Amino acid sequence: MAKSLGIFVTSPQNMRHVMGITQAAKAKGSKVKVFFTWNGVHLTKCKEFPSLCELADEVSICADSYKKCGYDPIGDVPKGLEAKDMATQGQHGAIIEDYECYLTL
Amino acid sequence: MKLLNVYRSEPSDDTKKLVEIVSEGREAEAFNLNVESPDYSALVDKVFSVDQTICWW
Amino acid sequence: MSKKVGFLLVNKEYTLDGIRSALGLAVENMYAYAYVMNNELADVSDYHKENIDWIRDMEGEVYTTEDANVENIGMVKISIEEIGKQLRDLDFVIPYGIMRSDKS
Repeated sequence: MAKSLGIFVTSPQNMRHVMGITQAAKAKGSKVKVFFTWNGVHLTKCKEFPSLCELADEVSICADSYKKCGYDPIGDVPKGLEAKDMATQGQHGAIIEDYECYLTL
Repeated sequence: MKLLNVYRSEPSDDTKKLVEIVSEGREAEAFNLNVESPDYSALVDKVFSVDQTICWW
Repeated sequence: MSKKVGFLLVNKEYTLDGIRSALGLAVENMYAYAYVMNNELADVSDYHKENIDWIRDMEGEVYTTEDANVENIGMVKISIEEIGKQLRDLDFVIPYGIMRSDKS
């Protein structure tokens, strides 16, 4: 049986890898959670981001990072996310505690 | 202890040194993401099969 | 058992946020270690200095390869070889952000 996979995204350069790995893991029946922080939150503006939100089991971002990167975490929730997904570093902790496999991108 | 070292870019000398120390005496594999069309399915299979994955820069 | 997590911080545009992220795991009851490699930090705010203190209060540590960070911020000096040895004992190793250091 496929293992669960958590992906911690800290780089603004790896959207193709985030999408590619999530697609591959989901095709194998894996549960996938992705959390974006710091400059990684710029990837929420990629055209593929809403598709990622549909594909993965959970997607959330660091609201504090989003604000520091110049976006409005209340008035500009990225397409594909809800207000509850504008989260804290606790989501990274949840990946580490609750998921069997872990990747940093 | 099975270890997978994943490279997102060409490793620096410091990265190579860290990989060498971390991998010593362990069953270590490598996967290069820094190519035009990575085999993501193969990567996920490797991630599922090891005890720890480190995605270097 | 509490997980042991190490953040590798090689880019000064990412280092302070990486320390904040390490603190985020420390407050989740993990042992969080940050390794500031090849980048010197200037004008570190009280907020970020407090983050470092909090990591220590929760039995973590912030190490650096750079003498300036030892002198200016009180980080603990460490060599690349020692970092490698410490990483062997961690459950999670997180090369944070993108590779671009002051010395590259």
